[in-house]
Amino acid sequence: MTLLQVDGVTKQFGGLTAVNNVSFSVEEGQICSVIGPNGAGKSTLFKLISSFLVPTSGQVRFDGAQVSGLKPHVAARMGVVRTFQETTVFKEMTALENVIVAHQLGLQSRTLGVFLGSRLARDENAAIRDSSSEILDYLGLGHVKDERAVNLPHGYLRALGIAIAMAAKPRLLLLDEPFAGMNPDETNRAMEMVQGIRRRGITVLLVEHDMRAVMNISDWIVVISFGSKIAEGKPEAIRADEAVIAAYLGEDDLELGH
Amino acid sequence: MATATDPAPTRGEKRVLGPFLLIFAPLAAVLFVAIPFVLADMPYWLNVVTNACLLSFASLGVWLTFSIGRVNIAQGAFCLIGGYTVGGLTTFGGLSFWLALPFGGAAAALVGYIIGYPLLRLRGIYFAMVTLSLTEAVRLAFLYFGTMVGVTSITSIPSPPGITSPMAFYLFAAALLILGYAGIWRLQSSRTGGVFRSMRQNEELAASIGIDVARYRVFAFTICCFMGGIAGGIFAALQQNVYPQSYTVADSINFMLYCFLGGLEFVLGPIVGTFALVVSFELLRAIQEYQALLYGILMIVVMLFLPNGLLSFFPALKRLSGGRK
Amino acid sequence: MEQILVNGAILAANYALIALGITLIFSIMNVLNFAHGQMFMLGGLLVYWLVVQIGLPYAAALIGATIIVGVIGMAFEVFFFRQVMRNSTREENTMLLAVGTALLLENAALSLFGEKQRGVPPIVSGVYKLGDAFLPANRAFVFGVSVVLIVAVLLFVNYSRTGRAMRALAQDRTATLLMGVNTARVSTLGFGLGAALAAVAGGLLITVSGVNAGVGTAISTKAFIMIMIGGAGVVSGALLGAVALGFIEAFGYAYLPGSLTYLMIFVALIIFLLIRPQGIMGKPWG
Repeated sequence: MTLLQVDGVTKQFGGLTAVNNVSFSVEEGQICSVIGPNGAGKSTLFKLISSFLVPTSGQVRFDGAQVSGLKPHVAARMGVVRTFQETTVFKEMTALENVIVAHQLGLQSRTLGVFLGSRLARDENAAIRDSSSEILDYLGLGHVKDERAVNLPHGYLRALGIAIAMAAKPRLLLLDEPFAGMNPDETNRAMEMVQGIRRRGITVLLVEHDMRAVMNISDWIVVISFGSKIAEGKPEAIRADEAVIAAYLGEDDLELGH
Repeated sequence: MATATDPAPTRGEKRVLGPFLLIFAPLAAVLFVAIPFVLADMPYWLNVVTNACLLSFASLGVWLTFSIGRVNIAQGAFCLIGGYTVGGLTTFGGLSFWLALPFGGAAAALVGYIIGYPLLRLRGIYFAMVTLSLTEAVRLAFLYFGTMVGVTSITSIPSPPGITSPMAFYLFAAALLILGYAGIWRLQSSRTGGVFRSMRQNEELAASIGIDVARYRVFAFTICCFMGGIAGGIFAALQQNVYPQSYTVADSINFMLYCFLGGLEFVLGPIVGTFALVVSFELLRAIQEYQALLYGILMIVVMLFLPNGLLSFFPALKRLSGGRK
Repeated sequence: MEQILVNGAILAANYALIALGITLIFSIMNVLNFAHGQMFMLGGLLVYWLVVQIGLPYAAALIGATIIVGVIGMAFEVFFFRQVMRNSTREENTMLLAVGTALLLENAALSLFGEKQRGVPPIVSGVYKLGDAFLPANRAFVFGVSVVLIVAVLLFVNYSRTGRAMRALAQDRTATLLMGVNTARVSTLGFGLGAALAAVAGGLLITVSGVNAGVGTAISTKAFIMIMIGGAGVVSGALLGAVALGFIEAFGYAYLPGSLTYLMIFVALIIFLLIRPQGIMGKPWG
């Protein structure tokens, strides 16, 4: 079943076209990757899909409903949740508090009930605590859950960012360059994490520069260059695609999956 | 063991109730036992602490906007709105103070709610500057439209019925303050408080996990404005008058300073900050001409040596006595 | 009509000095200088003191007051702002420190000079006539000195070594540090220059309209309005904001009842900021 449908999406900034008429779709349960050379418009496309930018034309449909043009928090409620590059977490909170506060969706108790401490709100708080601990354990952060985020090493922060997104119970998780700046060892662990997320029934769309990691875990790859889609297909097909090789030529790290 | 009759959350609730009582009980003791006992025959000082209670109440609201990451220099404007509403309803409308007071809070909250949506999109110094402008704009609006209808100021506002002595007025103000403290404390320690803190640290990240940032921002701001309106309404009845210049930019700045000097990390911060500044200003009155200067120096010294507020002195002390950094 | 334009131009020139100063401090230090109006006030009162009490000639008094306030500004940077910036946990801290220094200056001025409105007699007498407009020579003098100073500051910021370092610092603090610029020294100088500009504006205006110890907050508010219109931290924006405010004020005072002018300015400003939060020239979020 098609979960995400990107349909002729274009984004212009002033006279500059950052994303030009890009279409593709993501099937439920897939790991799909959008790749491209530096400056290809990956970040813009990512923001368009996650509703952090509004497309100039075209639309993004999620599970049949239009999500482009919605506010980010509304898209999150529908099940489209993004992560941020690098180390965007709530720095002054502990790891556990980070994930607890991220449990905002699907709650029954309202602000007044929370304020008055209703039975419902207390039960929900307990459920949130359990769920948060479970997510942290699943992503290998259980042992640092009471550590303040500012004190955590970089690698952990990336995982914590994903834990925060997981707490919003996404159906589609959008990962923004999850492997950037990682050494091969860290990349391997992060790849396992991404596959683990998919095993929980979450569809994953990731935007990435690192070709090797993408080739190994993706079911489907979309390649963009200068804002336009130049190829899409299974990893083996992409590896052999002339247009893709040409686009990546001149890049320093020409490494097509070995 | 968690059972059906003794669910796990109650344990969590009790854990947070402990620290609350640790501060709440001494605060109540100071407000309702120590101060009334010591100042019983000192009407001047009783008036000073009554003022401090009401100012603290308004500052608690400003503290709440600090907790969502906004420097709010508009509280004077909402005190003014509350003051005029209560003053007008009691003096011209013949309404009892007790009926008029909720309207004072509601009028301020309504204005805050309406302008909050667009205004709170601004951040950092822009929000600070625009709220500062708002204080001046509201003052000028009362001045201009007041002149047009021939009533710029309201004088001889009736006292609240039932409150016949300075002590009674003080106890009323103290009760309001402790109610406000409990309410804000409860709010910030609840899930909603977590949402506020998350927004202060990163609004985009908060939105990405489904938090309706705009709605929560306005929620916090509206509560702040409501508290300002209530404080302003009571002040109008206490001083029995309200003028456009009853609250100026300097007053709005003071509310913000009280929070900051008490400590932004503590709900008690605005109360400690307000009392410390109001009382020290009165004490410095003894040295007449240098009162203002010493007050200014005192404030800078606190900022330099306790940049996280007066209350951060205690954890610092604890660290020192514990011998660890 | 011509009279309004003349008045507007004089106001705009004086305001430009204030706006340049506050925007300089903001761009270099990322501090919103709440004490700017108080520095203006102190400049004015020091000129009054040096001229009326000490008996110095006006030019010497103006230079003296400017230097004194400039040094105060540098001292603030070294002893207050640098310390707080080093170990502050929240970005609000410097803003609140600036509020503290504003109170300090205002209270010091109250203790030293009292709360009376002070003035200095006009430096030059006579009246020029421009078309239908009257231009008192003293105002022409204030206008002339302001314009010369504005040009001097612009030249300094754009072409001198230190000025270029200041602009670099405003754009990227870390990169400037890596380039081998002594950022601490440049910050101190920038803060001092900003303070001095406020002082010279006060020292000039005291010959026109008088200054009292309580005028600071109102001047700071005007400074904020100007940088909100133009965009915080941008020199061209500061000038634009000053010109806009000067002429709006001149027109408002000519055609509207007293309190309405600023009421309308504030309302227009709030609406303007909602449409364009970064001002006309500014970058988003400063």
